[in-house]
Order: sequence, then C-alpha cells, then structure tokens
Amino acid sequence: MVEYNFKKITVVPNGKAFIDIILSRTQRTTPTVVHKGYAISRLRQFYMRKVKYTQSNFHDKLQKIIDDFPRLGDIHPFYGDLLHVLYNKDHYKLALGQVNTAKNLISKISQDYVKLLKYGDSLYRCKSLKVAALGRMCTVIKRIGPSLAYLEQVRQHMARLPSIDPNNRTILICGYPNVGKSSFMNKITRADVDVQSYAFTTKSLFVGHTDYKYLRYQVIDTPGILDRPFEDRNIIEMCSITALAHLRAAILFFLDLSGSCGYSIVQQAALFHSIKELFSNKPLIIVCNKTDLQPLEGLNEGDKKLVMEMKSEASKSQGGEAASADDFLLTMSTLTEEGVMAVKNAACERLLDQRVEKKMKSKKMNDCLNRFHVAMPKPRDQKERPACIPQAVLEAKALEAAQKEGRKTEKDIENENGGAGVYSASLRKHHILANEEWKEDILPEFLDGHNVYDFVDPDILLRLEELEREEGVRQAEAEDGDEDFEMDGEDLTPEEREALQAIKKKKILLIQEHRIKKSTAESRPTVPRKFDKERKFTSERMGRQLSSLGIDPSRAIERARSRSVSRKGRKRERSVDRDGEDGMEIDGGSSNKKLRLRSMSRSRSVSRPFGEVVPGEGFRDSAQKMKAITMARNASKKRNKDARRGEADRVIPTLRPKHLFSGKRSIGKTDRR
Amino acid sequence: MAIRLQFENNCEVGVFSKLTNAYCLVAIGGSESFYSIFESELADVIPVVKTSIGGIRIIGRQCVGNKNGLLLPHTTTDQELQHLRNSLPDSVVVQRIEERLNALGNHVACNDHVALAHPDLDRETEELIADVLGVEVFRQTIAGNILVGTYCALSNRGGMQVHPHTTIEELDELSTLLQVPLVAGTVNRGSDTVAAGMTVNDWTAFCGSYTTATELSVIESVFKLREAHPSAIVDEMRKSLVDSYV
Repeated sequence: MVEYNFKKITVVPNGKAFIDIILSRTQRTTPTVVHKGYAISRLRQFYMRKVKYTQSNFHDKLQKIIDDFPRLGDIHPFYGDLLHVLYNKDHYKLALGQVNTAKNLISKISQDYVKLLKYGDSLYRCKSLKVAALGRMCTVIKRIGPSLAYLEQVRQHMARLPSIDPNNRTILICGYPNVGKSSFMNKITRADVDVQSYAFTTKSLFVGHTDYKYLRYQVIDTPGILDRPFEDRNIIEMCSITALAHLRAAILFFLDLSGSCGYSIVQQAALFHSIKELFSNKPLIIVCNKTDLQPLEGLNEGDKKLVMEMKSEASKSQGGEAASADDFLLTMSTLTEEGVMAVKNAACERLLDQRVEKKMKSKKMNDCLNRFHVAMPKPRDQKERPACIPQAVLEAKALEAAQKEGRKTEKDIENENGGAGVYSASLRKHHILANEEWKEDILPEFLDGHNVYDFVDPDILLRLEELEREEGVRQAEAEDGDEDFEMDGEDLTPEEREALQAIKKKKILLIQEHRIKKSTAESRPTVPRKFDKERKFTSERMGRQLSSLGIDPSRAIERARSRSVSRKGRKRERSVDRDGEDGMEIDGGSSNKKLRLRSMSRSRSVSRPFGEVVPGEGFRDSAQKMKAITMARNASKKRNKDARRGEADRVIPTLRPKHLFSGKRSIGKTDRR
Repeated sequence: MAIRLQFENNCEVGVFSKLTNAYCLVAIGGSESFYSIFESELADVIPVVKTSIGGIRIIGRQCVGNKNGLLLPHTTTDQELQHLRNSLPDSVVVQRIEERLNALGNHVACNDHVALAHPDLDRETEELIADVLGVEVFRQTIAGNILVGTYCALSNRGGMQVHPHTTIEELDELSTLLQVPLVAGTVNRGSDTVAAGMTVNDWTAFCGSYTTATELSVIESVFKLREAHPSAIVDEMRKSLVDSYV
C-alpha cells in the first residue's frame, strides 16, 4: 500500500545556499594543497578531481530533489489533482524539469572541462579551468533559483497537507459555506477544526478519525462550495471538488434549512444539482442541519419539494443498496447534538455495505473465507465437558455491577516502597502451606553433599525400598553375566595386541623387502653390512662355497669385482656437502652406516676418461664430443690470448646503482647499500 | 472480558504467562505492573503465582496445564518446582517430566477436557498428559503446523483461535475433536501465533496491547467472554471483518 506522506521530502535550499553548500563541501573534502613543482599529471588530476567531485555533488542533490517530489502521474489521482489545484501542474512540472535540465547541464559542463583539463599545461591553466568549470555550474544553479524557491514553498505546503489515505474508508462532508460542516466534524471526531460564524472558515481539507463497528473511518471536512461555473471556482473550492471527484467515500451533503448561513434552500438545491455528477456510485446522504432553528416539518411547500427532489435524486445516484428510504435524508442539529450519531452511523453503515459488497466479489475473498467461519462442534460422545467458572467469579461479576472496589495490587505496594527496581516482592508471600509460619523458612539446597530437593517427597522411603529391591535384582543378574563380560575383556586386549604385533611385523617385512629391492636395483653384489655382522659374506667365501658345489667361481668373482669398477652413465648426484662427511670418514669416527656403505661400495675414485659420453650430455658418441670440445677451445682461444672479457666472466652490470648512492639517507636504506 | 496488556513493552503476553481455570502463572518482570494486572483481575478467585522456569521467563511456552495439573519441563529447577508446589492448591498436581521437547507450551494445547499434542512427543509424555491433566490427548497438526500449542488458544467455553490459514474443513474437524466452537483468527494486529499473543481461561482473556478492536471482539465472542456468542462473528461482525481482512 502506498503511503501518502509528503512530510519526508528534504529541504530544497535556495540558489545561493545551494551553491554555498556544494562549494564548501568540495573545499572540505578534496585536497587543497598543491605545488607548482608537482608533475603536470598530478596537477591535472588534482583539479579534475575537484571538478568531478563538485559535479557529482550537484548531481546527487538535484537528483534527490527530483526523486523526492512525487510525480503527478504516478500518485493517486486524488493527490494528483489536489496538487494541481494547489500548485498548478504546469508550474510544478516546469520547475522539476528545470532542475533536471540543470542537472544534465552540469554533467555536460563537467565533462567538457575535464576534457580540457587533460590538456592543461601548467598549474595556473589548470586552476583557471577549474574556476571556470565551477563558475559555470554555479551560474546554472543561479539560473534555476526561482524554481528552487518555488519547490521549497511547495514542499513546505505539502508537508502540511493532511495525510489522507485515498483507499481507506472515508466519509466526506460537503455543502455550502457556513452550513455546519466543521461543527459536525468536531462532534464525531477529535480533529478540533476551527469553527467560526463566517463563511470559508475552513480553507483546506481537514481529516479526523472516528470509529464504527470496530473499524476506523477517516472523516474529511471540505471547504464550502458556492454554486458557480467550474472555471470560476477558487482554489479553496477546488480542493473540495477534487476530494468529491476522486475519493470513493460516503458523502454527506449538508443543507441548512434555516437559511442562517446566508444561502436559501433554492440556492443549495441548485448547487446540489450542479455537482450531482460527482456523487454517482457513492453512498450519498442529505443531511438537514440546524433543525433547532428550523425543523424539516416547518418548511414551506416549495422548499420541501426541493428537498424531496434532492432526496429522490440521492436515492437514484446510489451506489450500494440502501437499507431504507429514510437513510437518504436525515435531520440533525449540531448545536443540540440531536441526530448527530444517527447521521454518522448511517453514513458508516452505507459505506461499509458498499465496500463489503464490492469485496465479496473480489478474488481475495476466497482466501479469507475460513476467517468468517465458526466451526461448531458435532457431538462425538455423550461426555459432558462443562466450563469451569468459579462461583466467586460469578459473584464478583454481580458485585461489580453494584460497585467497583479497588484492590491493593502488588504494583501499589511497589510504588509505596520505592518503585520498580527498588522494591523486590517476596515470591513466598502467597504460598499455601499448612502453617503460615513456615512461609519464610529457609530450606538449604544442599545438605551433607546431597541435593535436598531430591529427598523432598512424602513417599521417598517407599521408593527407596523399591529401588533397592530393583537394584538387588539387577545386581544378581549382573553377577551371572559378570564372568562372560570379564573374559571378553581379557580376550579382547590380547587380540588387539596380536593384531598390533602382526602389523608391526608386516611393516618390518615391508621395509626389508623395500631395502632389498633398492639394493638389487643397482645389482650391487655386496651384502649390506647390517646383515653381515661377522664379515662372512666375502668374495673368498663365495668362491669357496661355489667350488665346494663344484662350480668354477672365478667368473662369478670376476663379475662381482668388475661390476663394482664398471660405471654406467653417472646421474646427477645429490648436492650434499660431501667434504664434511668425507672428512669424518677419514677420521673413521662416522656413525652413519648408510653413507659408509655407499663409500665402501665405490672401490676407488676413478676420474672419467676424457671424451667419455655421459648420458644426458647430448652427444651421439665420444667422437662427436671430442669434436665439440675442440671447437669450443678454438673459439675461445683468441679471446683468451687477448685477455678479454668473455661470457663466462663475472659481470656486475652497474657498479654504483644510482638509487643506492644518491639523496639523503633515510631510514631503511643503509643495509641495502 | 478480554484485557489488553504488555509485558515490558512486549506484546507476546501468552509467552510470559500461563492462565488456567485454577491458577495463573506470571513471569517475574522488572516491575510489578504486569503481575498486578493479573492480580487485580484474578487474585480474588485463583492464585496468581510469579515464577520462572529453569531460570527463564518464557513460562507460557515452557509449561502446560489446566485446572487439574501442571506439567513442567525437565529444565525446571528443584527450587522452582517446590515454589510452585507450595503456591498452587493441592488439587493441582505439579509434575516435572523428562521430555526431550521441553517447550511444552508450544507442543501441547489443552483445556480441561481435551488436549492436542505435537506428533513427535514421547509415548510416556502423552500418557502423563492424559493422567496428570485428566484429558483426552490427540496428536494433531494445525494447518500443517506441528506446534499446536503455539497456534491455538483453548478454553472450555468454546472457542479457540487457530492459525489463520486453517481451512474450513480442518476447522470443522478440529472443532468436533475438541468439542468447542472454533474460529480462525489473529491477535496483536495480525500475528498468527495466537497462543503467544494471548492467554485465556473460561471467564477472562489477556491479549497483547497491539490487538485491534476487531481481533478483540472476535476473541470475546468466540470465547464467550461477554454476552457475545460465537455466532456473532458470522452475524453482526461479518461486515467489519470482511472490510478489514479482504
């Protein structure tokens, strides 16, 4: 539901204030210090920022104004027309349009000047461009000054408009000036509208609220209308006409039978007939006011006829079926309050009828059907389910009718004793105990390490006995099953232990297997020292053993020897610093058996024969390698002869890098030098 | 008669109080205003007891009871239990139960004769409800909502209010089950957690202060708090209801 509240529109500053606000903001929020010595790009950026920032502020502020003010086409036609009547639609739109144009102009100016600033070649030029840009923006705003002033006035007026909800239940009071519309309003609502004895006391719409049948109705008091052509009506009257035209409300047309308002019944009837189009499809009641001065019965024939004519007209222009013919014409006197409530009730009832009739046809009705349904129970058995109302309540009700006696409540006591937060009521005050004196007795929460409340039970001993008996039974049961349980427990642990051992064994095996694999991978004939504690796996022994089997061992021994000497292509070795370890080995104190092992397997260090091809060097054979070596030597021969710098020499690109050797030494540069 | 009130600026009155035909439990507040409203209304007839349950104040949602008994969740401390036993007349059985769903007020809705219970409540709890509160227990949902205690307020006089999305068929079915007239409605300006917004017994009701005049009149007629009768909702009030709901 759209809420029509124009109080939230922000203030529209006038042209001068507007400029001050924006420029001072630019000054405050953008940097202000600039030096001639700055790089030109920095200078340009500095001034561009100012221009852009000013532009965006102008843009935001103007956009806010445009967004805040309602668009006449978008709001409810009642408000649309009311605003038109009060402020003139064209003027309003023009003002907002000007604001919008100003916004666009400013964007354009900013764009242009930012573009120019890109070519600014000195601080002075850049500054001049900035000044020009801001100046032009301010001129634009100055030019829309009148529009801003107008919008501010409109805003102030709109904030004071009554908040009428056009879709809500509404009762509209209309009629000639001075016929008692506002007096009626004051009688049925608490709006407190000004009532005076001259015409046009009410100059605008007023809203009050009244209740009928649990619902809230807004009552709108309109200014009086004169019977004259539409074009001649003034703004005050047009407010009434707008409300009549656009609000789907119950309309009370007020007649002053006595003519003390200064208009005869003939004139009032003429007005009724001239605006009766506005009443179509709305519940309409003709209210004859001031019956204390002139009762309806006492009217002369002509006037009576006019009134009856209006009544029949009212019943014709009807929206919603009327309960009875009497409902179209009611008499009352706001002075004596006679018939005032009848008029209000009739109006509310008729409006409600019409709204309900319309809503019954709507789709939404089906969703809510369950809420208008009272489910009455069908008896399902013979059981009586009486209500339980203590006799005292019934007596109290009877008594209440006779007299209302005040009870001293806890709140009264609280107030007497220092108010909330100071007074703390005792919870025990209303305990129902065998002895009044027990109320304030202090019961310990714990006693001898036991929770006292666990033992607060009249038949605690009985239960204890029961429990003990039960426990006895359980214990007996438990003893039977005890051994099994224990056995299980013992069985389980060794099982686990076994499993653990199996796992460990398997792990060791795996490691051994792996090591063996690793050693055979290089087809090393040696048996690791680890498995040769007694030094029995020697080649002599192998020879002896083989010969005892009747096999010539010479080849096998040969093979073992030659294998250790022969080299396959050497792979890249680990880059551990061998020196230290070697040294340790020389000392003979090395405890690292693995390394020892490795060094032992290599019988003697033999340098690689010159020109031998190592896989990965990229030579086909040793001849090619030899050729390459010769070519390389020849290439560097001349250079070396001249003692010139070659590609293998150490190079220092910049001996004294500028950034390390110039300027003042600040913190953090020292260690880089 | 229905009364509008607030608990420390909160309108969920049914959360902070538990009203039955034999006693009334009220949360301990910062001041005595809330208690005093109950006190002035009820203290001549039934005990009005200030208490917390498990040290917290949302007692209306935690416990369930009627004139026969009071069931408390397992979170209730020994002291609170003793305090309640001391404060309530002997005819009211106070029992603490070991139910996993400890917001009993949300899971059970009952008057003095029948109770609706959450479908997941334990069997033992259901038996305890039947024994202690002396009611027939039905496991039910309201408009697909299993928190029956939240969405329904019950008294013996008739009426109750259920979740506003309940269908008419379901309303009729529930009404036959409970043997009281039912109507779907709201409290606190459209809140559908009916039991949280109000608390009711056979002769009086307390509603949150946001409750509108329309809601209040529905409550008064369906619970027969004044001369009004449930049928008033479909007769005199119908137009107002149509205009405010649709």
